[in-house]
Amino acid sequence: MYGGGDGAANANSLFGGGGFVPSQSTAVPESSGGGSGFSKASDDNSNFAINGVEVSTVRLVGRMLGKVERVTDVVFTLDDGTGKIDVNRWQNESSDSKEMADVNDGNYVIVNGGLKGLQGKRHVIAYSVRRVTNFNEITHHFLHCIQVHLDLTRPKPCLPSQINACTPTPGHANQAWPPNNQATTFSASGNTAGNDVSSLVMSVFHDPAIIEREDGITVPYIMDRLKLPEHIIKDVIKKQEDEGNIYNTIDDFHYRSAMNG
Amino acid sequence: MDASGLPAFANGEILKTMVGRRVRTVVQVQHNEGGVLVGQSTDGHQLTIRGATDVPVSHFMEVFGTAESDQSICAEVCTDFGNSFGEIWRPISCSCLVLNNRYMIPWTM
Repeated sequence: MYGGGDGAANANSLFGGGGFVPSQSTAVPESSGGGSGFSKASDDNSNFAINGVEVSTVRLVGRMLGKVERVTDVVFTLDDGTGKIDVNRWQNESSDSKEMADVNDGNYVIVNGGLKGLQGKRHVIAYSVRRVTNFNEITHHFLHCIQVHLDLTRPKPCLPSQINACTPTPGHANQAWPPNNQATTFSASGNTAGNDVSSLVMSVFHDPAIIEREDGITVPYIMDRLKLPEHIIKDVIKKQEDEGNIYNTIDDFHYRSAMNG
Repeated sequence: MDASGLPAFANGEILKTMVGRRVRTVVQVQHNEGGVLVGQSTDGHQLTIRGATDVPVSHFMEVFGTAESDQSICAEVCTDFGNSFGEIWRPISCSCLVLNNRYMIPWTM
C-alpha cells in the first residue's frame, strides 16, 4: 500500500491540469507544474487548454520567490512544489501597490490571474495576489485541483434536457463560457447529472467575484446565474450544506462556501 | 540518491520509501534545540528535522527537504503554519496515500 516508488514522485503530477466545469467557472485551480494537462488552445499561443478545456483564468497557491518591484509592475516566481511559474502583477492603482507591499519572498500567496503563453513559456498575469493567512487554504487548494482534474478527465456524464436549454448570458462579468461543442457532450442521466449540477452550483460559490463576499449569495442569485430551476438548486444547496461545503452567513437565505479564506 | 527531483508528499510511513529523495511534509513541533527539531507527522511518527527554522512548539510546520533516513529530514525550506492547521491534518495523511499511490500521471516540467 505504501509502495510509492516512482509513483510517489509522480504524485506531484496529480495536480497537472484541473478546472471547474468550464461553463460556469472563471478561476481554474491549478498547480504550477501541470505540464501534462496543458495544451495551447489557439494558434496565437496566447491561451491554454487544460484537459481539453480552454482556460483563461487560474488560481495558484505557492511560495513567492524572486520578487522584483519595477516602476509599473511587480514580477515574481511562484513555486508550489510541483513547478515554478512566472507571475506579473501590474500596478495601476494605489490599492495594487498596497496589495503587493503586503507580500514578500518566502510568503505563501494565492494568485488569481490569466494564464498566458509567450514563445512557448507560460506565465500568469495576476489581478490578485494575497498572502495566505490560514494555511488550510493550501490543502484545500490541492484537494480542489485534484477534484477538478478528475472531473475534467473522467467521461462526461449526462444532464437533464432542461439544463441543456440553459444558455450563458454574455453580459455577466468575469464569466468564461464553454464553446458550444462542450455543451453538446451532455445528455440526461441519473446521479452523475446530479454531480454536474453540484459542480455548477459550487463553481458559482468559488467565482473570484463571489468568494470574497462576506455575506455570501442566495438561491435567486444562483438561479439567475445558472438559469436552473429553484428546486434543483435548493436540493444541491441542502446537500452541500449537509456535507459542510457551504454554510449560512447573515441569515438562512445567504450561503457561502466553506473553502473561502 | 535523487535529491534533485520535485518533492513528493510524505508522511511518517511514506518517508521510509523516500530515503534520499526530496520530500515535503507537515509536522507538529514537539521540541526544537540547536537547529534540530523533533515533530510529529500527520500519521503519528516522530520525525527529526535538521536545519529547521525556529518554529514554536505545538505549531505546525511545513518542511521541504531531503529524506536522510526513515525518520529524519534535512530541511531546505520551513514554513510556520501556525497552530490551527491541525484542524484538518488527519485528512492530509490520507491525502498523501491518495496522491502517492493512486494517481500516477506522466508528468513533465
